Amino acid sequence: MSSHFQNSLIALAMVAALSGCEREKRQDPHYPIPKTVPTISPDTIFPGNGKLPPLDPRAAAFERNAAAIAEGQRLYNWMNCAGCHFHGGGGMGVALMDGKWRYGGRIDQIAASIMEGRPNGMPSWKNKLTDKQVWQLAAYVRSLSGQVPKDAVGARADELSNTPPQTQTKREPTPSADSAQQ
Amino acid sequence: MRRGAVLACALALSGCEGVQNALGGQGAESANFIWLFTLFMAVCTVMYVIIGTGLAVAVWRRRRQALVVDDRRHHETSGKVGPALALWTILIVVGLTALTIASFFTDRSNAAVARDPRIKLTVTANQWWWDVKYTTADASKTVHTANEIHLPVGEAAEVTLKSNDVIHSFWIPNLAGKQDLIPGRTTDAQLLPRKTGLYRGQCAEFCGVDHALMALDITVESKADFQRWYASQLQPAAAPASPEQRTGFAYFTSRECAGCHNISGTPASGQVAPDLSHFASRRSIAAGTLPMNDANLHKWIGDPQGVKPGSHMPTIAMSDADSRALTAYLGSLR
Amino acid sequence: MKRSVAGIIAGLTLALIAGLVFWTFARTRSPDLGRTQFAAPASNKAVPAQAASPADDGNWTMPGKDYASTRFSGLTQLNPANVGKLQVAFTFSTGTTEGFEAPPLVVGSTMYVVAPWPNNVFALDLSKPGAPAKWVYEPKPAAAAKGVACCGPVNRGATYSNGRLFLNLLDGNTVAVDAESGKEIWRTRLGDIQKGETMTMAPLVADGKVLVGNSGGEMGVRGWLAALDAGSGKLAWKAYSTGPDTEALIGPDYRAPYPQDQGKDLGVSSWGPEQWKIGGGTVWGWLSYDPELKLVYYGTSNPGPWNADQRPGDNKWTAGVFARDISTGQARWFYQSTPHDLFDHDDINEIILADWPAPNGKRVPALIRPSRNGYFYVQDRRNGRVLAADPYSYINAYKGVDLKSGRLIPVAEKEPKPGRPVRDICPGPPGAKDWNPSAFSPVTGLVYIPHLNICMDMGVKNANYISGTPFVGADVKMYAGPGGNRGVFTAWDPVARRKVFEIKEDLPLWSPALATAGGLVFYGTMDGWFKAVDGKTGRLLWQFKTGSGIIGQPISYRGPDGRQYIAVPSGIGGWAGAIVAADLDERDPTAALGFVNATKDLKKRTTKGGMVYVFALPK
Repeated sequence: MSSHFQNSLIALAMVAALSGCEREKRQDPHYPIPKTVPTISPDTIFPGNGKLPPLDPRAAAFERNAAAIAEGQRLYNWMNCAGCHFHGGGGMGVALMDGKWRYGGRIDQIAASIMEGRPNGMPSWKNKLTDKQVWQLAAYVRSLSGQVPKDAVGARADELSNTPPQTQTKREPTPSADSAQQ
Repeated sequence: MRRGAVLACALALSGCEGVQNALGGQGAESANFIWLFTLFMAVCTVMYVIIGTGLAVAVWRRRRQALVVDDRRHHETSGKVGPALALWTILIVVGLTALTIASFFTDRSNAAVARDPRIKLTVTANQWWWDVKYTTADASKTVHTANEIHLPVGEAAEVTLKSNDVIHSFWIPNLAGKQDLIPGRTTDAQLLPRKTGLYRGQCAEFCGVDHALMALDITVESKADFQRWYASQLQPAAAPASPEQRTGFAYFTSRECAGCHNISGTPASGQVAPDLSHFASRRSIAAGTLPMNDANLHKWIGDPQGVKPGSHMPTIAMSDADSRALTAYLGSLR
Repeated sequence: MKRSVAGIIAGLTLALIAGLVFWTFARTRSPDLGRTQFAAPASNKAVPAQAASPADDGNWTMPGKDYASTRFSGLTQLNPANVGKLQVAFTFSTGTTEGFEAPPLVVGSTMYVVAPWPNNVFALDLSKPGAPAKWVYEPKPAAAAKGVACCGPVNRGATYSNGRLFLNLLDGNTVAVDAESGKEIWRTRLGDIQKGETMTMAPLVADGKVLVGNSGGEMGVRGWLAALDAGSGKLAWKAYSTGPDTEALIGPDYRAPYPQDQGKDLGVSSWGPEQWKIGGGTVWGWLSYDPELKLVYYGTSNPGPWNADQRPGDNKWTAGVFARDISTGQARWFYQSTPHDLFDHDDINEIILADWPAPNGKRVPALIRPSRNGYFYVQDRRNGRVLAADPYSYINAYKGVDLKSGRLIPVAEKEPKPGRPVRDICPGPPGAKDWNPSAFSPVTGLVYIPHLNICMDMGVKNANYISGTPFVGADVKMYAGPGGNRGVFTAWDPVARRKVFEIKEDLPLWSPALATAGGLVFYGTMDGWFKAVDGKTGRLLWQFKTGSGIIGQPISYRGPDGRQYIAVPSGIGGWAGAIVAADLDERDPTAALGFVNATKDLKKRTTKGGMVYVFALPK
């Protein structure tokens, strides 16, 4: 092989390898970091030229991480989220696989909804789940409407197969990442 | 060189000692296997020696002669080869037949082990712990525990094996062979312990990051002791007595713990983690990871991810007072 | 010669085809899928229990019309000949668009409309044109209760008694409201939403007591029936549906009709240890009352969780019918229709009290009821003995009811186990018929049953109990049963024990029925058609398209002007209508406990609403 070709091959391989790293990286198991779930506003109106704070990159990292989404999938069943929201279609709780978000569809807004609870019936999970678990759940909820990279989602559900695998979930159109939608 | 030899001996002998010993033979099935294993070893050793000797002799004799392609002496020795070959064939046939028959009878013997099981239990494997339920005809006399099995000596037990997630394998070397637990299927194992004692089981099919920390404590005891244990397991959990235990109880039932764990007689009825109603009566914590004592309990509760990284029990940033209170409460659940 | 013959034949054929097409489209398009008549009703009729069903005074004071739950109006102005002229007299919008199940009550010249959450009650003055509201009662129940109401924040109605209205609020309170002024007289809290407990059923008021029960069988709630003093709202007695005999009020007066329901503390021993505490058996359906025997009859809900593998044993006292003494609450008898329920086959359906002619000619004081498990039971209401249990719907999950032992015979292959899902189980979780009650006409002797033809695939998994969250452990997908129609309207002859006619409906039938002495039967469809059919043949006589799907009880009353009125609530919701009422996503077939798969087309056929329609003949 010509050295030129060899070099580009190596470069390509390195890029491919590195991009895979983030999605597979398991967080440090000692990562309790209390109070990382912010009390972010679910609103869209901020008087006097205010606006929603930008998304913390550590929060965004959760929804690109396969381990976090897989843990979120497990917790979604264990904590009975599936009992109200089923596999995204909703029931007692709202549908999570569509593009409609009452209290904001950004991952930190979803994490805040889980932590704080919401009026009309969403329970508050503060003191019942660790912050890391809430982030993992929020990442999984984001995956239900196709917002996460396809190589990070689980290809297989944990139960009777009723919906197409998550790797085929279409991305629901939501407004740009840093605004919320009624 | 000497160190290497010592190491080799240690490694070789570690499979022979104590609580997790495939050559222990304390159960009917493992005793049968050991008998068969010994027979195979004997027969195969004999054959090995014969072949080895024959090979050595042939190599030694061959050394003294150059190789000639067209060797007439080859035909002259056929008189000896024929009967030798015949004898050899007969030896093999007899040997194999004997081994086959022995194997067949061992199998039958194993099948007969749990023909009329008095004890029935269901073991459901999870990542990375064992859920154990003793079932009886009377639904209200079901015992639900985790990571431990008690068996009365001399009585057959039928163990129904299920899995909640991936393939695991149920292996109690002292008592019986391995049996896989496969999600979506039900398999079973039969145990007939013949000697009382404490044994250790182990998951024998790679099942994830904590596969090596997924052990089982087996206690084989007299019938009377078993009945006593069973009766105590049917009782609801001990109520908290001291103020520290009460604080621990309050934390357990109102915070993260109750979402996963069950302690009977309390508001904590979680079904996805080990049942803790009689937690302190067990020999180990976290499926054989740490021996059960207060210091280890405190270590586990304070930082489960440090002890068993990757397990589903999260490290909760709780205060020292809370973790001591929880240790006190859980340590009281005999 | 040949060509002209061919031409004539072609022309005739074309004309015939055109005629057929014209005829098909020229008829008023009726959305049902066909009606079948099987037989004429038996001449020897069952009649409603006398003491429990007094003569019609033109009012409608309780959802079941009377203590016998006949849902039968004695008014005769409307009949098959003139019902075609029925037209809207007035309408009323509640301002709420959740599932609208409660019937309006009419006492004298006031109509009381009870809305789903937030449970507002409106008193309409029927003597004035347009029926303006006299008062509005706004109880303000907690909004968070909506998060623990499994099947919509519905309310099945209020009951009027002695100048007061009694109703349950979603967040677990029972209230008494003065019918004249709309002021709240007392409020008693019985349910705790922190445990997942809500209250949606319509109280029964008799003997100075208000009988109410809780909801939450899908939330691991322990069920009970309570009696409050009608004057003060104080608790008189509370009978649990699981647990020790002292709490289930099973004492020396208790005599079960069958040995499997007789024993000590069966509400504990028929469960794994401690499981009865989160075992279900809620009382969210219908109560009936026999004033002569002084017994109240009601059924209990499914056991929790749906994953039966987690709760070995018969799981008493769930999925069965109790008879209790109304003054003390002590049980007289209990019959478990579905022991160790596998499929969410609650037993809370309406219990019609009737005197039933037995084959030997004697009249037995009986109760007749189409149960969720698909069997139409006839039982002696003095002791609970089953006299008949016949399938009124397609069933493959059970083999039948053994009348000697009284036990339901399950089909073992249909039992789902963790890791072993089962497909094609009929009837599905809403059963052959869910809560929506049937009507019984003494004129025809038939029970008019609006029900379902729905089967399911079910997978079960380990359910985790966290109080205040669902305790189910099942993935379900429902779809139409054999025939493809999801709803059926059956006229059942309880004496001959068979269908007299049946009307197939495309959509599931979630609305109750109303029968009138004029020979009419009314019911509504989930896409909003309110229909009147002939009580003898089932022939469609009249229909009207209301604004939203109908899941509420139609009633009939005599207005101040003497005319017969028919009123029906229109507002889709409930379990079957959840996809519309809660805007669910049809791409997840397991949503709403599997119902979304069976109602994927509903969003295109109806929208939310909350309106009462009142009809009458033109003056």
